[in-house]
Amino acid sequence: MKTAWVGLTLAVALVLQTTVAPGLAGAGVPVDLVLVVVVLFAISSGPVGGLWVGTVGGLLQDALSGGVIGVGGLAKTLVGYAVGAFAVQFNVSRPWYQALVVLFASLVHAGCFVGFYSLLSDNGAITSYGGGVTQAVANAVVGGGVATVLGAAPAALTRRRLRRRRLTRRFGG
Amino acid sequence: MLLLAVVLGHIVLISLQVNTPSGVRLFEGVTFGLFSEVQRGVARATGGVTGLWDGYVGLVSVEAENTALRRDVAQLQLRLQQERAVAQRVRGLEELLEFRSDVVYSTVSARVIAGDATPYFRTVTIDRGTRDGVRRDSAVVSPDGVVGRVLSDPGPRAAKVQLLVDRSAAAGVLIERTRVAGTVKGDGAEGLLRMEYVSNLDDVRVGDRVVTSGADGIYPKGFEVGEVEEVGPGSGLYRAIRVRPNVAFSDLEDVLVIVPDATASTTAAGGE
Repeated sequence: MKTAWVGLTLAVALVLQTTVAPGLAGAGVPVDLVLVVVVLFAISSGPVGGLWVGTVGGLLQDALSGGVIGVGGLAKTLVGYAVGAFAVQFNVSRPWYQALVVLFASLVHAGCFVGFYSLLSDNGAITSYGGGVTQAVANAVVGGGVATVLGAAPAALTRRRLRRRRLTRRFGG
Repeated sequence: MLLLAVVLGHIVLISLQVNTPSGVRLFEGVTFGLFSEVQRGVARATGGVTGLWDGYVGLVSVEAENTALRRDVAQLQLRLQQERAVAQRVRGLEELLEFRSDVVYSTVSARVIAGDATPYFRTVTIDRGTRDGVRRDSAVVSPDGVVGRVLSDPGPRAAKVQLLVDRSAAAGVLIERTRVAGTVKGDGAEGLLRMEYVSNLDDVRVGDRVVTSGADGIYPKGFEVGEVEEVGPGSGLYRAIRVRPNVAFSDLEDVLVIVPDATASTTAAGGE
């Protein structure tokens, strides 16, 4: 069940990445939604989960992009594993902390991606320092937003359930 | 241990592609084929909403726009007649000089249904594929100029197009005024092109128009690429030239794919 949810989330992230994100990138806000999903999932599930989601998400993203297949997969695998291992050691349950983790994970991912590509081709850096930082900040904002919504959703559901139970008790039914 | 195995797997996968691209075609083909159908559906849904908005809600200033467009059409018709007359004269002169007439290209119109899956590359997905005669390396153009080329083997109903501004894209070009030849390469992030291999002795000025030279075997000769924006002394024998492309790559919606034979000259963009 959990695997199906992760697959669905990755698929939605990929569709949004290819349909909505290019428009944002055109407006100067480049976002990597698949990376955000990988990082948030790695925080909640640990290093092994992060590793697998990073591998699958990265490879799918590579297959749909114009680059070498495996480079994004490798970068996301490493990031997923590292974030998972970090989240096991430290408490990063607050959305604010998760946004920070997304920020640093994005910088590490950009470093890996640029590094691997510089080994494969001599066309120069695939992105500038400014581009990498802008993307990391954009990812952190999206990641923080998603973490806030995901964090608030269970509480809101519980509140609604309690209110319904109280009303049922008061008026019967 | 698991991490090491997965990393090794990735390295083998990357190495396979460095030597030959055949190793991962199946994976790429299946993933691209599946996702292009999803992207087609999403593009159709968003297109429907946009169409509803443009067709009903956004008709406030249509009357004034219509009048202006009618005036433009009249002017363009007049200009077309003049151009026809010039073309006739040129054809006559060509016959006189026994030149071979230019090839008329078959084109297929296509709609952009998705962008690149990463922020690092500049590719788009179009809703035409091998069924419509689109092949690997088919040139893609728009009324404004050269857009790019079809990357890898296209699917039956969709194809990936590498935009000319992608950092690994290039095209053979000429400065229209002086016929100085060079190569334009994408600059990725900034949306500009670098024109390379133009000698410091060659005459190139800001504002010069850049057109395709046909030397690369992909883009036909004479298509507009852009305008020289900056000319400076390069580090060695060559000038450092920046070209602003004519095509607005961020707002691409409809494009034309040049197909090898007279398969079609269809007009319904995205329509079946």
